[in-house]
Amino acid sequence: MSGENGKRAHWRSLDELADTPEFRELVSAEFPGLEEDIADPATRREFVKILGASLGMVGLTSCRWPKEMILPFASQPAGRAPGVAVQYATAMELCGATVGLLVTSYDGRPVKIEGNPLHPASLGAASAPAQAAVLELYDPARSRQPVRREGGKEARQSWEDFDAFATPHFNGLRASRGRGLAILSEASSSPTLARLRVGLVEALPEARWYGWEPLSRDNELEGARLAFGRSVRGVPDLSRARVIVSLDGDLLAGHPDALRLAREFAATRRGDGGEMNRLFAAEPVPSVTGAAADHRLALAAGSIPALASSIAAGLAAHGVAVPEALRKPARALDARAERFAAAAAADLAVARGRSLIVAGPRQPAEVHALAWILNEALGAFGATLRAVDDPDGDRESHVQSVTGLAGRLRAGEVETLLILGGNAAYDAPADLGLADLIGRARVSIHLSLHDNETSRRCAWHVPRAHFLESWGDARAWDGTVSVQQPLIEALYGGRTPLELVAALSGARVESARDLVRATPTDGSGSPLGEAGWRRALHDGVVEGSGLPPVRVSVRAEAAGPVAARLGVGAGRGTEAVFLADASVHDGRFANNAWLQELPDPITRVTWDNAALVGPATAAELGVRHGEMVALTAGERSIEIAACVVPGVAEGVIGLPLGYGRRAAGPVGDGVGFDVYPLRVSEAPHAVKVDVRGLGRSYVLASTQDHHAIDAIGMEERGRRIGELIVEAEWAEYRRDPDAIRRERHEPKPLALFGELEYGGDHQWGMTIDLSACIGCNACAVACQAENNIPVVGKKQVARGREMHWIRVDRYFKGSPEAPAVAFQPVACQHCENAPCESVCPVAATVHSSEGLNSMVYNRCVGTRYCSNNCPYKVRRFNYFNYFKRTSQVEKMAFNPDVTVRARGVMEKCTFCVQRIESVKIAAKNERRPIADGAIVPACAQTCPTEAIVFGDLRDPSSRVSQLHRHPRAYSLLAELNVQPRNRYLAKLRNPSSGAEEA
Amino acid sequence: MTSGSPPRLLFPKWTNWIRPALAAVFVITPAYLVLLVWLGASPQSTDVGYAPVQPVAYSHALHAGELGIDCRYCHTTVETAAHAAVPPTQTCMNCHAKIRTESPKLIAVRESHATGMPVPWVRVHDLPDYVHFNHSAHVKRGVGCVECHGRVDKMEVVTQVEPLSMGWCLDCHRDPDARLRPPDAVTTMDWVAPEDPEAYGKQLRVARNINPPTDCGACHR
Repeated sequence: MSGENGKRAHWRSLDELADTPEFRELVSAEFPGLEEDIADPATRREFVKILGASLGMVGLTSCRWPKEMILPFASQPAGRAPGVAVQYATAMELCGATVGLLVTSYDGRPVKIEGNPLHPASLGAASAPAQAAVLELYDPARSRQPVRREGGKEARQSWEDFDAFATPHFNGLRASRGRGLAILSEASSSPTLARLRVGLVEALPEARWYGWEPLSRDNELEGARLAFGRSVRGVPDLSRARVIVSLDGDLLAGHPDALRLAREFAATRRGDGGEMNRLFAAEPVPSVTGAAADHRLALAAGSIPALASSIAAGLAAHGVAVPEALRKPARALDARAERFAAAAAADLAVARGRSLIVAGPRQPAEVHALAWILNEALGAFGATLRAVDDPDGDRESHVQSVTGLAGRLRAGEVETLLILGGNAAYDAPADLGLADLIGRARVSIHLSLHDNETSRRCAWHVPRAHFLESWGDARAWDGTVSVQQPLIEALYGGRTPLELVAALSGARVESARDLVRATPTDGSGSPLGEAGWRRALHDGVVEGSGLPPVRVSVRAEAAGPVAARLGVGAGRGTEAVFLADASVHDGRFANNAWLQELPDPITRVTWDNAALVGPATAAELGVRHGEMVALTAGERSIEIAACVVPGVAEGVIGLPLGYGRRAAGPVGDGVGFDVYPLRVSEAPHAVKVDVRGLGRSYVLASTQDHHAIDAIGMEERGRRIGELIVEAEWAEYRRDPDAIRRERHEPKPLALFGELEYGGDHQWGMTIDLSACIGCNACAVACQAENNIPVVGKKQVARGREMHWIRVDRYFKGSPEAPAVAFQPVACQHCENAPCESVCPVAATVHSSEGLNSMVYNRCVGTRYCSNNCPYKVRRFNYFNYFKRTSQVEKMAFNPDVTVRARGVMEKCTFCVQRIESVKIAAKNERRPIADGAIVPACAQTCPTEAIVFGDLRDPSSRVSQLHRHPRAYSLLAELNVQPRNRYLAKLRNPSSGAEEA
Repeated sequence: MTSGSPPRLLFPKWTNWIRPALAAVFVITPAYLVLLVWLGASPQSTDVGYAPVQPVAYSHALHAGELGIDCRYCHTTVETAAHAAVPPTQTCMNCHAKIRTESPKLIAVRESHATGMPVPWVRVHDLPDYVHFNHSAHVKRGVGCVECHGRVDKMEVVTQVEPLSMGWCLDCHRDPDARLRPPDAVTTMDWVAPEDPEAYGKQLRVARNINPPTDCGACHR
């Protein structure tokens, strides 16, 4: 299990691998950076000042609590009880695809977002951005009033002012049949908006509609047109896939249907059903999908078409009916890539009918067409893949569309420009210069949550109602329609795109609800009946609205042109690849502090993006980690910090989009580096750049070495500790499931003190399946939202003071150029012999009779001894009163069931004790036992792959008990005899026996 | 300057008592301060007896006592939720739309009913925000309203009668027997146990498997 020469197999960072003095220092100091604080006279003075102030306060505060009011309704709505949480179904749309949500609301204010178990794209899970939307709702930087800008001056306006302008202006547009009107919209799957567009075209036939989405799946659509002559989209079904080949496609995190795909993928990764899928991934920059792959090939995006061609040729050699034109590889690749292609082709051919090839949105249409062709040849249709008609399939590509708009603006043909959402002035292709062209329109109106970069170029900014405050509807990737219902009255008023478009087309509209209500969504052609409507609101899905699969067959003439384009060389020079950022996506979530502080799944960098570069390429370019570099493509140039990441393909630089915002709000402004200036309409996915180190350093707040478990120190003391991550190969595991347990050898050492006895009716425990965990971070945001966890900011994160109760440790294994990746979520392990408890001088951390390691905030005096003594490094200390400046509106996001902690207090995972208690009380009130699975902590609830299981260990038949006894189960640092209540299930990998490590 | 030693400073004899007096002060003052804070700042002193003036002079003695309206007629959620909801104005108007429609004491109620704005009641029993008390858990186990709230049916103005301190809570959680009654009698203000309360409560506790938790997490989350 452990590596050769006493070196550990798994490592988190290059610093750890090289065992640098910096890493040693970080591991040895429990509270890095504290000495500076103590030595700094300014900090000390501040402390004395505060001490004096707080002594003064003692005399001033009265002895009774402040007088509190109880304000009952004058007339209470039916079914509402004060302080009782209610869940409502709604949906969130991101780039034209939707995930159904259940939103928990306390006394009319939404506080927690979870996935809707009935929704096919959620299955109960929610992504990190979807869960963080509650913070966006209460963002105090959201715009509250329309803004009018004219001649360099800006003025806040009332809604009446806007209507006084808009009504006659819209009437005038209708009178002129919409001449000179251009509408630029972000991608939307709303059936109601589509219906209103039809009405708009009738009322204003000369108006033109444009679409722009910086991260679009245009190539996929174009690929389908190439292959079939029809605009279809593919809906993969991984539950039946044995072999999956991903060509630069982030199926498990970047796909619109990622939550469902992750669930299906993980279901056959546990090695229990006698079967396990195998994932091959080729990609330029490590993604969540690449990290989960059994074989990962780091390859420049420009070489992936050639790789696809090699796979096609390999399939032909294995007797798969590949069209003639595709039976030869387009061009030679290096040996690693050839081995990868051969292994992938061999496995695909064997698993015919249960295999799948997917291409990512960065790949050109030809690769998508090839994937369709090969999938057909492999018999994937109807088994692992179905094609459905794209609801908006006839549109031109987003790049073409926005280029067309720019041309018309330049020609002065646009009188009125209405921009629905998005942030085109920031994220449109740089060569179009759209930001400056907006001013060419006589009147420009931007509907947006924030007064952002685009708003500032427009004559009017109109505040948009958040999706949690407004009516709407949207389609999931498979076509299922969800009604989006408001959870709260719009905090600052606000309009929706539906209302604006309806007003423009002159329809008399009472409310947006009526607009949604009138749209036929279930395929019957008429609006839902009353019962169906109520059901759709309750369930969060419109029954029967999913798109039916269509029968498509590849056109015979498609193969030739596809084959011709696959061989196009990758060219020379460094390839800069644009990436969707795991936190801010394309920049739209830049003002969301939860997402900004969420470490990137791979780089673990918070509050920044960086130029991601592999160690060998960095050495070749002469660039250090954290050094500022200048990237130049033609006359376009940016400066950005370099971040050396194992696993980035040679000659590739990864550039996450969405940072360097200038008008995002106080949280997002000036965070990171804007890489959009390098992105042009000709090459929106990758460009060739010249790289020049600038010598200057930049601090990247990466959490990758924070809270490192001091395994190195342990090792020096005699190699008593096994690996933190236990892995096995599926073939071996199947032969001998007990090998893990045997090799692991968890002895039961004698206890130093008398062991505690646990008398409670329930004994809570958890398991985390490392085979299922894909490192998506959804659990971390769920925990943050559920437990009122503060955000500390970049400076504090750089000192290792992030507050996340659950962290997802990312480990590399193998060579720095082509490492295997493993993720390990670590929260409080709720040890039965808890080392934290024995050192607390004030008994602020104690055990409950049910085995919970509780933290008593009111007793804590902040010695931090417990954290020092915690082997798992899961305790978090409030160095400051992080909620001191929290505004009234942000406080609405607090979960009222969880105490908000003050300065000087230690905190950590509680196993969501508030959820345990509420289920227990409800069950006991009704005098019934607690069903297994009734209590679900926030992390387990949202986990897309169901990797986290929680339950009662006293019940031997509970799922968690069974998993604790599972052959793959092991305890972290079991040798310390702390007896953690959380056990991990070893990670299984399923490498192909035919190919050596690709 | 003249030669010789400076004149000796002579204290008069009565100053001798200063030393024992100072000693006494140093003993008594700390003791006094400790007692002052201990007793003065304890919930027993600060909270018991708290009876703020309410916006409506609602008399529990009249409604619950004399008229015998059950607690749950107004506090509807007490058996199902953490909060025992203070009733909406509509509940008052169920009767007062017909009874005493002109009473000047009810002006605030009629105003609220007409405008839809709430009556701003002042909270009497106010636990700190880090305590999560659940009414339903107690009422369903057979802890009578009277155990914490006292004889509300005799109060003209609602007054806090128990300290509601953690120690006070734990007294009962550690030894609940004497405070248990059949759940259908929880709102009966003058209920008395048919036998020795301690023994009777024990039977109830054993029969209904009542184990009040003393874990921190039971109330603090």
